[in-house]
Amino acid sequence: MSDKGQDVDLTRAKQNTGVWLVKVPKYLSQQWGKASGRGEVGKLKIANQGKTTVSFSLNEELTVVESSGETASSVRAPREHPFSMQSVGGQTLAVFTESSLDQITIEGMVVQRAECRPAVQESYVKLKKLQIEESTKPLRLSQRLEKAVTTNYKPVSNHTYNVEYEKKKKEEGKRARSDKEKVLEMLFSAFEKHQYYNIKNLVEITKQPVIYLKEILREIGVYNSRGPHKSTWELKPEYHHYQEGEEDEGTME
Amino acid sequence: MTSLGNSSSTGTEYIVRVPKNTSKRYNIMAFNAGDKVNCSTWTQARMERDMSNRRMYGEEETPEAGAGSEFGKKQREEARRKKYGIITKEFKVEDQPWLLKVNGKAGRRFKGLKKGGVTENASYYIFTQCADGAFEAFPVHGWYNFTPQAKHRTLTAEEAEEEWGRRNKVVNHFSIMLQRRLREQEHGEEEEEVAGEKGGKKKKKKGGKGGDLRIHDLEDDLEMSSDESDSSGGEDGEGKSKSKKDISSKAKAKKKKKRKGSDQEGLEDSDDGDFEGLEVDYMSDESSSEEEEPEKAKPNKGDDVPKGIDEASESEEESEEENKNEEEGKEEEEEEEGKKTPVQTEKKKKKEKESSGESDSSEDSDIEGETASALFMAKKRTPPKRGGRGSAGSSRTGSRPGTPSIDNAATSNTLRAAASKLEQGKRQAATSSSDTPAAKRLKMEPSSQSPSGKSTPQPASGKSTPSSSDVQLTEDAVRRYLIRKPMTTKDLLKKFQTKRTGLSSEQTVNVLAQILKKLNPERKNINDKMHFYLTE
Repeated sequence: MSDKGQDVDLTRAKQNTGVWLVKVPKYLSQQWGKASGRGEVGKLKIANQGKTTVSFSLNEELTVVESSGETASSVRAPREHPFSMQSVGGQTLAVFTESSLDQITIEGMVVQRAECRPAVQESYVKLKKLQIEESTKPLRLSQRLEKAVTTNYKPVSNHTYNVEYEKKKKEEGKRARSDKEKVLEMLFSAFEKHQYYNIKNLVEITKQPVIYLKEILREIGVYNSRGPHKSTWELKPEYHHYQEGEEDEGTME
Repeated sequence: MTSLGNSSSTGTEYIVRVPKNTSKRYNIMAFNAGDKVNCSTWTQARMERDMSNRRMYGEEETPEAGAGSEFGKKQREEARRKKYGIITKEFKVEDQPWLLKVNGKAGRRFKGLKKGGVTENASYYIFTQCADGAFEAFPVHGWYNFTPQAKHRTLTAEEAEEEWGRRNKVVNHFSIMLQRRLREQEHGEEEEEVAGEKGGKKKKKKGGKGGDLRIHDLEDDLEMSSDESDSSGGEDGEGKSKSKKDISSKAKAKKKKKRKGSDQEGLEDSDDGDFEGLEVDYMSDESSSEEEEPEKAKPNKGDDVPKGIDEASESEEESEEENKNEEEGKEEEEEEEGKKTPVQTEKKKKKEKESSGESDSSEDSDIEGETASALFMAKKRTPPKRGGRGSAGSSRTGSRPGTPSIDNAATSNTLRAAASKLEQGKRQAATSSSDTPAAKRLKMEPSSQSPSGKSTPQPASGKSTPSSSDVQLTEDAVRRYLIRKPMTTKDLLKKFQTKRTGLSSEQTVNVLAQILKKLNPERKNINDKMHFYLTE
């Protein structure tokens, strides 16, 4: 169940705290991310002559734009950003925060919406040009080679992998039949772990030849040819008592 | 609204800070302006993620060990997915909707869905003013649109389809939900053992109905005369009486709606034109609800119709039976006598049948009736001659001998004569009304033999013989038909339609009767109908 069903902290809501919602261009938020110290990024100027104008000016040090390729100094972010104020009419916007401890708080209501626009200056135009160039570059590039690549695949008399495989096979030899008792023990312990097994898996587990293993299996197990567990072997019902989540030993009868 | 800093005429400057390392994530909670949400009025609120979509992403959990598990199942599944390139989306808690409950159980509920694409091209920042006058900007992490959730009962898809199918029959659409609620309440009252919860629920429902003034159309209408009606009974009564009244009540409801419209969750306010196409019941003072009225009307109508044609259908059935058994004189007699003389009776029958709308069969059955009567007439002539020739239980024939008058009248072959004969016959036969059909059939069979034997001269005499211009209704034609396959009198009559043969229906009947008597076809009962056939 969710452990997030909590009471919302409504103190600020009751105080009717007002906030502004400002839309900021991407490059500006990137620059802001580089702010150091206390996080001061600039100054907000509000003038009240007749019309209320709001403008934001970016700090000098943050105007340096990082860009791949070209030298950074030629391009700089603009400093002046007038705000375009908008009304909150059609929606009632509230701000809520989620803390890392899953505490939800209402921070306040949005009383003013604004858009931060860069003042159209040369620096801005250049910046935009740079951005567009970067974005139009394709992610993948085709490059022509002078010489064909010949270093990858060389003819080999026998691949190393094959050699190893053959060696391994020789060492192992054919699977030998061990005593029936031992095989049964192995089988039972395997069926403790899982209920359904493929014959190949069982061969690998028990290291027995297939025919011999099948004979033994026919004694103690049953083959599912259809159903959700298709073509698998499982123990006969009298041999297992599976309970939910518990593992029981199959008894020999 | 808080002022955002001291503003002198020239302007002021504020420092903007973007704090780093905030542990809190800022999100926007957007409400529609029409919902009139005021956060400052909230006394209490709870918010949690709506995890109901989790099971969509969670795959079938097979046990990984122990019973039911397979060796290497996981690896195989993974390999399979890779092979087919199946990419399953993860269930991200971050993207799940929010459920917001305001003011506890009785308050409003909202669902907040995440709006996508907010942080893609531009970033939103929240500027708040701090104590020192500086602004702090926090980036908005997510935007959720919160919509209020309906608390009133809504119809599921199946129920909605059901109601849609009934829309033409239901006059008062306003009380549909009301009726449902009443029905539910009745159900709840019946199961009183589990009453504890249900009682609470019921009350809640009732209270909810009274309290949720703003959400549902119906409830607004219901509350036209009182703003707080706590008792649903009062509302019901008002609802019913309201539905009776016409525009005045609607106007009132409209006014009420406008007043309360503010709290409606996005349901359209009723405009003036909304009520134009609605069906309105008559201004009567009936106490039953509208919904039941059309239903009541239906069964009533259904009742009336059968009643109206009952008599006719009875007669028709009886006449058909006669034809089945062919000259089932008894029933026909009684029936005919019961009403009038055969001529008039049959004419009347025709009329009745036609008026009751069963015109398709009326003609046939009419003709059949006449055929039967004609045959019957012919037959009736002979039994008296025969005397007691019928089978041992035939009281009818037994009763014949005492009526020489019938014999005398036998020479006239008009229907009127037949009528009089029948009348007399009926009086005698009145006692034997309890004959079983089997007995009748037995009677008829031997008695039908007689007509063929004796009455050959009679059909030829007197009776209006068919004009020779008729090409089709001949003995040969009938014989051909009967040889080919067994037919009932009805079928035969269909073959010789009056328009084609140029005969009137009466004549057709008579002629056909004669021919049949001549041919004396064998009978067979197929599907409870008497079929004739010839074998040559």
